[in-house]
Amino acid sequence: MATITQTRPSSGSGGYNSPQGKKKTKGQILVDWVTTTDHKKIGYLYLITSFIYFLIGGVMALVIRAQLAAPGLDIVQTKEQYNQLFTMHGTIMLLMFATPLFAGFANVLMPIQIGAPDVAFPRLNAIAYWFYFFGSFVAVSGFFTPQGAASFGWFAYAPLSNATFSPGIGGDLWVFGLALAGFGTIMGGVNFITTVITMRAPGMTMFRMPIFTWNTLVTSILIIMCFPPLAAALFALGADRRFDAQIFDPANGGAMLWQHLFWFFGHPEVYIIALPFFGIVSEIFPVFSRKPIFGYKTLVYATIAIAALSMTVWAHHMYVTGSVLLPFFAFTTMLIAVPTGVKIFNWIGTMWRGSITFENPMLWSIGFLTTFIFGGLTGVILASPALDYHLSDSYFVVAHFHYVVFGTVVFAMFAGFFFWWPKMTGKMLNERLGYIQFWMTFFGFHITFLIQHWLGVIGMPRRYATYLPEDGFAWMNLVSSLGSILLALSILPFLWNVYITARSAQKVTLDDPWGYGRSLEWATATPFPRHNFHSIPRIRSESPAFDLHHPDYAAAEAKAAAKK
Amino acid sequence: MRSRLKWGLIPASATLVLLLTGCTDQFARGFLPGESGVTNHTDRIVGLWSTAWIVLYAIGLVAWGLMAWALVVYRRRKGESGIPVQLRYNNPIEVLFTVVPLILVIGFFAFTARDMAAIEKPTENPDVTIQVIAKQWSWDFNYVDADVYESGIQAQFDGQEGVPETLPTLYLPVNKSVKIDLSARDVIHSFWVIDFLYKKDMFPGKTNTMYFTPQLEGTYAGKCAELCGEYHSMMLFQVKVVSQAEYDTYLATLAVKGQTGQLDTRYDRNQNLPGDNPENRG
Repeated sequence: MATITQTRPSSGSGGYNSPQGKKKTKGQILVDWVTTTDHKKIGYLYLITSFIYFLIGGVMALVIRAQLAAPGLDIVQTKEQYNQLFTMHGTIMLLMFATPLFAGFANVLMPIQIGAPDVAFPRLNAIAYWFYFFGSFVAVSGFFTPQGAASFGWFAYAPLSNATFSPGIGGDLWVFGLALAGFGTIMGGVNFITTVITMRAPGMTMFRMPIFTWNTLVTSILIIMCFPPLAAALFALGADRRFDAQIFDPANGGAMLWQHLFWFFGHPEVYIIALPFFGIVSEIFPVFSRKPIFGYKTLVYATIAIAALSMTVWAHHMYVTGSVLLPFFAFTTMLIAVPTGVKIFNWIGTMWRGSITFENPMLWSIGFLTTFIFGGLTGVILASPALDYHLSDSYFVVAHFHYVVFGTVVFAMFAGFFFWWPKMTGKMLNERLGYIQFWMTFFGFHITFLIQHWLGVIGMPRRYATYLPEDGFAWMNLVSSLGSILLALSILPFLWNVYITARSAQKVTLDDPWGYGRSLEWATATPFPRHNFHSIPRIRSESPAFDLHHPDYAAAEAKAAAKK
Repeated sequence: MRSRLKWGLIPASATLVLLLTGCTDQFARGFLPGESGVTNHTDRIVGLWSTAWIVLYAIGLVAWGLMAWALVVYRRRKGESGIPVQLRYNNPIEVLFTVVPLILVIGFFAFTARDMAAIEKPTENPDVTIQVIAKQWSWDFNYVDADVYESGIQAQFDGQEGVPETLPTLYLPVNKSVKIDLSARDVIHSFWVIDFLYKKDMFPGKTNTMYFTPQLEGTYAGKCAELCGEYHSMMLFQVKVVSQAEYDTYLATLAVKGQTGQLDTRYDRNQNLPGDNPENRG
């Protein structure tokens, strides 16, 4: 903790040089944000928008948990409304929160981590954001129509999602809104790949890129492989709904066709929202262990292996359809456990024989690792068709993917917020409030979702609006619902933290307030200058900022390397 | 070093003792519902499930344990300064934690493949053939051999007890091999008898099949497990496994009620489906 006060010569950056003259009017600020092509501002737009969707999706989850707190409740007026809630909860959390959250972190950080002044296509970047903004709004706006939003589940299985079984404009808005937002995601992916390939600073070889940048690259490649099939499938579904196209008519195998197309997108999507957050914690563990990431190249290869395998496992969502080659998909799915395990042990290896302090970014990363390990174990169970027959579409699956996705996205998101907040805003978030928030989130999360594994095992199907007293699900659901209240409350310390930090926290003047930052964003001014760097340090390892700030260690390492 | 080991051993042995003494029946089944031998497949599934969990817990304990160890032992002490050794690679260890999981995965796959093949294996000449057709939001049961049927309606309830007795019920004779053809009249549903530890999706325009032998008389809860519209959660049923005599009596009462013949694809809502339903397949 003593590191924050540590002083050292500033790395040749002359403070924040924005035009400090006249104060801007509100209109000017608005126009500035709306018309910006600055990758950092677009990144902030992504972060803010996706966080708002996180809150909206969270409120929906609370209503869902209230409805399930006891058997036979009528918290929502109709079961149709319940179906709308979980459909939009899933849609929002995956496509309007987690995916754009990746775009937010990647936009802000990736160009700086490779020493670039901006992304390769700044205006494409802006339009990608606005496609996401309007597409998401279109999809959610179903709530303002008379029949309500889409209610066929976030994976919209045909034929339930066609106009016969799900009439109403909400479904159409969902289909076309997601298609629009999806194009934004594809453009973002193209932009990130081009930036990483072409805009690295001198000395920034591929194997000196920070893990977060690597994961951004791999994630973007996954995006351009799997979002186009989704876009095609959505337009086809839209044609079915509006123009009677019959593409997903079960009479010609359309029911299975949709599932294949959807999960060919849907499974890599899980990794699209996981890999960047693996990247975030891979940045944090080294800084607070005061050691470089353990097995850097292994970690990169593991990421690539996970991405490659993730394109081959989509039908594990379809074991119980009776129409997929079970041994193939079971084996590829189980294989993913290997590179995932490598990552976990590399993170532990990074901490091993380190000198660990527990500031908020580190604490949240540990929360991630603890949670994610369990999500990984249940994932191996679900990979086995013989066990999945019983567990598929039960609360075991719900619990599993919340462990994986909440564990990864939300814990790593807060880790990233606390970690980079000083660089993004020039102020440190309050540590104490962060600890309070962490323990509320940690216990709230595990109380809510751990018990759901047992619920699924004893037979509670997912997407059930209610259940019988005889089912014996009541007390477990009550525990889960109570946990969700704690989990929801945990957001309050964070909002308060953001508020008081903006109001009264001291300005950070150090380039690296944590003291042991490794990648290039810690070698430039706080907050970032308009074009990211006044000067770029020599890049001679994967830790240029660390080499700059701790030259004695860099020199010793260089000597040791030369001796070999 | 020795004292550190001791501190690690105490919680480990305590957990082990708890595990070994706390071996209730439920625990031995890994909390899976039902009891031993509900169908000819369930014991196999329970075995795979329990073994898989023992291995996974061991792996999980190693991972959590190493993490906790690192956090405690390698924490930065008060007044500590300087930076630890900047270790970047250790190839033997990395090979170890790549190869060991790979071996475990291959083993798990082998057992999975064995069990899944056994569960999915078609029964030649089953004793009983039943056709279950799902519809929004209930079930039609066609007893093919006896040419009788039962048609269900969706569950009606308001949170009070006593609903299960009113649910549509599928009767099966005990210790007879059963083949169930599964299909749907409108959207996708899924046939899940919880204690049978098995479910399979029911598609419009496609027939899925499951094979098993119920071995224990009793009443079992069944639910639709694939989102099928507003009253998905009301799409419940029961399975009664009874003696052959009771089974025959039940089928006779269906015949007496005039429920003879089969509820075929004429009642489907997707009328443009071609001949994949067994009815039309010939």
